[in-house]
Amino acid sequence: MMTPLSVLIVDDDPALLQALPQALRLRMGGVTVETADSAAAALERIAAQDYDAIVTDIKMPGMDGLALLAEIRTRRPDTPTLIITGHGENELVVQTLRGGACDFIHKPIDRDYFVAALYRAIRAHVLKRRMKDRQLALAGCAEELERIVQKLEREPRAVPERAES
Amino acid sequence: MAMPSAVAGAESRLRTQIATLERRLRKRDEQRRAMLHIMGDLNESNKRLANQRKAMLHILADYEQDRRRLARQTERLDNSRRAVLHILQDSHKDKLRLEASRKAMIHIMGDLRETTAEMQRREQELRDKQEQLVQAGKLATLGELTTGVAHELNNPLNNIGLFVGNAVDLIELAATEKGQVVGELHHAMQQVSKATEIISHLRTFGRAAPVSREPISLREVIERALSLMREQLRLREIEVTVDLGPDGPVVVGNAIQLEQVFINLLTNARDAVAESPRKLIDITATIASGAVDVALADTGQGIPPGLERRIFDPFFTTKEVGKGTGLGLSITYGIIKEHGGTISVVSPPGEGATFLIHLPLAP
Repeated sequence: MMTPLSVLIVDDDPALLQALPQALRLRMGGVTVETADSAAAALERIAAQDYDAIVTDIKMPGMDGLALLAEIRTRRPDTPTLIITGHGENELVVQTLRGGACDFIHKPIDRDYFVAALYRAIRAHVLKRRMKDRQLALAGCAEELERIVQKLEREPRAVPERAES
Repeated sequence: MAMPSAVAGAESRLRTQIATLERRLRKRDEQRRAMLHIMGDLNESNKRLANQRKAMLHILADYEQDRRRLARQTERLDNSRRAVLHILQDSHKDKLRLEASRKAMIHIMGDLRETTAEMQRREQELRDKQEQLVQAGKLATLGELTTGVAHELNNPLNNIGLFVGNAVDLIELAATEKGQVVGELHHAMQQVSKATEIISHLRTFGRAAPVSREPISLREVIERALSLMREQLRLREIEVTVDLGPDGPVVVGNAIQLEQVFINLLTNARDAVAESPRKLIDITATIASGAVDVALADTGQGIPPGLERRIFDPFFTTKEVGKGTGLGLSITYGIIKEHGGTISVVSPPGEGATFLIHLPLAP
């Protein structure tokens, strides 16, 4: 991957916003980590930049993780979003998955799991993006083909000749 | 000489006779005079006698009157005597009755002594039960707080794990800068003390400590109650304002119990404002004539009319089954009463509820 990966972490706990980006920097070399201490701040950043992944806490004052997820799904439908959940919030976990979350991370956070999940999400995102690119390219090719076919149809003599040769 | 002798004889006889007669006459006259005297005396006596008779008659009349008076008095006396007799009889009966009453009284006194001892025993029992109830209520409050507290503990624990993990990574990567590792560990220590604070507070609150009484600052009590609730209130976007005046009121009481009062009231207010567009809990205190009035107002739905008194009854709850024990406010009521205060609630229609606590200040 040529362009550096960028991740946005959203949480209202300043200590976590200090610890988690550091962990990512140590574990995922070359990744750019940005933070937002509220869902509103996160939305501002999302408008300005297309992140490779967004990680958000579920319980936050004001707009919570679930509402933020819904906003992300409408503004950046392709960006994979991971939700951090506490213990005993299974109901919320199900809701986030239904809401389109890519994965969820239990608190206390297992760093290996977190990094793996984030990689997986980003890879999926990159693959999806690449697939989309290829799809676009393919669509372009198909169009090109279509145009060639149409052009050939306008010159009917040429076709049998070519077919015969 | 014969003749003159005869005449002289006759004369002398005559003279003698005359003398005799004269003597007799004189005597008679004396007698008559004496008789007259006597007659006069008699007359006098007679008059006196008549007077005396008249006096006698008077005296007799008087006597008759006296006699009659006497008879009346005798009769009265007799009546009085009879009355006295009755009274004496009554008094005797009364004395008997009194004696019986005295005996009954002694019995009653004995019973009373026993009853008093029993009462004292019951009272002590009740005090013990009350303490147990307070303890149970505390544990119930703790139980209700657990979810929030678990969340609160989970955060520093999570951060500790991340900071220490970062330190480990840095060491494994053989970081040239020692300062980075120390920084991560330092952050971890801060989170450890945060978690310790939460746990030690919970332990103090849950401990069944003997109920001591000492001067305590209401400001500290309210701050401590809020510190246990902070995370829950923050996540629900409930704003809390506290204004206890320039000098914080000091009351004599038990800090843990009073903290429980405010935790209970804050828990109720937290649930009351859950659906409100504006979520505010306002705590104010005013000091007046040796007492403090604390008002805890919320912007919730208020209390349905008619329930203002019942909400302090044990096991009365308006919350859904499983949401509330119905003990919080009854325990709150008991604690405030034990502190010599009162608690009431006002809930004007269309406004939130305001709990009013009146407590005597420390002397």
